[in-house]
Amino acid sequence: MEESNEEQFIMVGANYKEHIPKEKIPSFSKRLKGKPIISVIVLAAIVLCCIFAGDLINHDPSSFYLKNLNEPPNSEFYFGTDSLGRDIYSMIWYGGRASIIIGILSMVIITVIGVTYGCISGTANAKIDAAMMRAVEILNSIPSLLLLLLLVSIIGKQDILKISFIIGVTGWFALARIVRSEVRQIRNYEYVLAARCMGANFLHVMYRHLIPNVVSAILFVVISSISTSMAMESTLSFLGLGLPIDVISWGSMLSLANRALLSNTWWVIIIPGVFLVITLLVITNIGNYFRKETNRRASNL
Amino acid sequence: MDRRTVILKKLLTRLMGFIAAMLLLSIIVFYIARLAPGDPLQSFYGDAVESMTTQELQEARKRLGLDAPNHIQYIRWITNAFHGEFGLSLKYKIPVMEVVSPLIGNTLILGGISYLVVFIFAILLAISCALFEDTLFDRIICKVGTAAYYIPAFWLGVVLVLIFSINLNWLPSSGAYDFGKSGDLLNRLEHLVLPLIVMVLSHLWYYAYMFRNKLLDEFRKDYIILAKTKGLKKVEIIVKHCLRNIAPTIISIMAISSPHILSGTYIAEAVFNYPGIGALSVESAKYHDYNLLMLLVLITGVLVIISSIIAQSINEMIDPMLKEQEAATWKKATKNSSSW
Repeated sequence: MEESNEEQFIMVGANYKEHIPKEKIPSFSKRLKGKPIISVIVLAAIVLCCIFAGDLINHDPSSFYLKNLNEPPNSEFYFGTDSLGRDIYSMIWYGGRASIIIGILSMVIITVIGVTYGCISGTANAKIDAAMMRAVEILNSIPSLLLLLLLVSIIGKQDILKISFIIGVTGWFALARIVRSEVRQIRNYEYVLAARCMGANFLHVMYRHLIPNVVSAILFVVISSISTSMAMESTLSFLGLGLPIDVISWGSMLSLANRALLSNTWWVIIIPGVFLVITLLVITNIGNYFRKETNRRASNL
Repeated sequence: MDRRTVILKKLLTRLMGFIAAMLLLSIIVFYIARLAPGDPLQSFYGDAVESMTTQELQEARKRLGLDAPNHIQYIRWITNAFHGEFGLSLKYKIPVMEVVSPLIGNTLILGGISYLVVFIFAILLAISCALFEDTLFDRIICKVGTAAYYIPAFWLGVVLVLIFSINLNWLPSSGAYDFGKSGDLLNRLEHLVLPLIVMVLSHLWYYAYMFRNKLLDEFRKDYIILAKTKGLKKVEIIVKHCLRNIAPTIISIMAISSPHILSGTYIAEAVFNYPGIGALSVESAKYHDYNLLMLLVLITGVLVIISSIIAQSINEMIDPMLKEQEAATWKKATKNSSSW
């Protein structure tokens, strides 16, 4: 029976060959295309150097070489010394630690507050939502630097934790708005309704449904908040309101910039600044990769 | 109830909102200032506080009005504020109004000029980027713009000073004018160049990129095809149609951008020692001079709110959709009044 069955179907075509599509394994270089490789490499290099700062340095970053004040870059002090006689090369790596830690800590604070606030506002009823968004609007309309100045003057003497807290507390408004509008869209979907019908409480819905769906929309904001926080720290330190001079960070190194201008010692200004700027740009570039690109039609123009 | 009363009513509600916001702001700042750790006596008398007797301390507190409970102090402060007295500056030992009033103009000049320059350049840049979308020019500008936006403004300022005023000696590095030349316009302009460059570079791309994307969205609409078949040139289409369509967006962005720009002004002022309220507020935060800081916060609030009200009004004047809404509310109002 089976044989006759098979005969009923005769293969036609001269050189019939079953077409098995080759499994395409994209080459390594193709897979990396469009991804921010250079940025990742540079960032990894900087972060690794900062982690292993202890093995890289050739001077004590916190000791004052009073005989070598304001020395330009040379073979002993690779990046020169500042007006207090500290070795800039060694300070760069230790300062990077503080700056990056501040960036990450502030990012965590910003994300936690922003996402929670946005989720609550997005899921609450219309009145509470309006009130919460109005509050964010008012806070957002105060210049951020002024808000920081107020907080700085309350808290007084700074350290790494305090400054991350200050930057985090003043930086979450934009994120909260984005999260809220995303949540508003998602919350009416059936699966959220189903989960609620099955008795899921707010935290469960937030954790299982809202956050995973919102992540792609906020990843860019979250990552670039690292770089904005680092920039904020350096700005505050430069203004003399951030980290004191003995807590080494890229910002507090730059707080000597005004003195360096008077003595025209460019390396005190340029070198920490270049490290800071490169790190900021690299992080932003990585963040940009995660940005939701809207697919555009061809232009009519 | 005619149209004018509707507008008047709108203005009045806005004014009420403005006053409420200012009151709230002043209460918050007042309590923050009182809760802060720095002792105002310490900042007023300096180290002399430690050598004072208890009686002298009490008298000093009384003289500065620090002996009453907080809410009474606040009421006292607010009644004085309505008479234009905001207390003594703890650092300068003169009324804060006298410290601040000569500086507001400087900040307004710097902030206002950079506001205009930033937006004019942002629109021009957005048009040229959108016109050459996805070409090399566009991509390079995008990269450079993003980089300029993320470089910390203060570092940019310091580097510019290092290059242009210390090594090349072309431009002055600090202040708003040279000593005794406050009336010399050229001298003032010379001092404005570097702060202005910093302001423009650090804010330009943020807005230009937004406008560019808006324009690109606009290019995808159908009326562009019609305009092209009519034989309009590209630039004509952009200027006559696209720009007009995104004008409300531009203006509403301009309306909410004033805190952003003002915050930039503060940094620029601090870097270039430009005598304005920004540099002053950094200083007063450093020295715990709360009377001064409070006034500065209030002034900043007033500036922000006024500029947003102005921009909103302009927006309503330009945007016919909003006007239609207004007409609708007017009709509704007349209907209501007839039924009353």
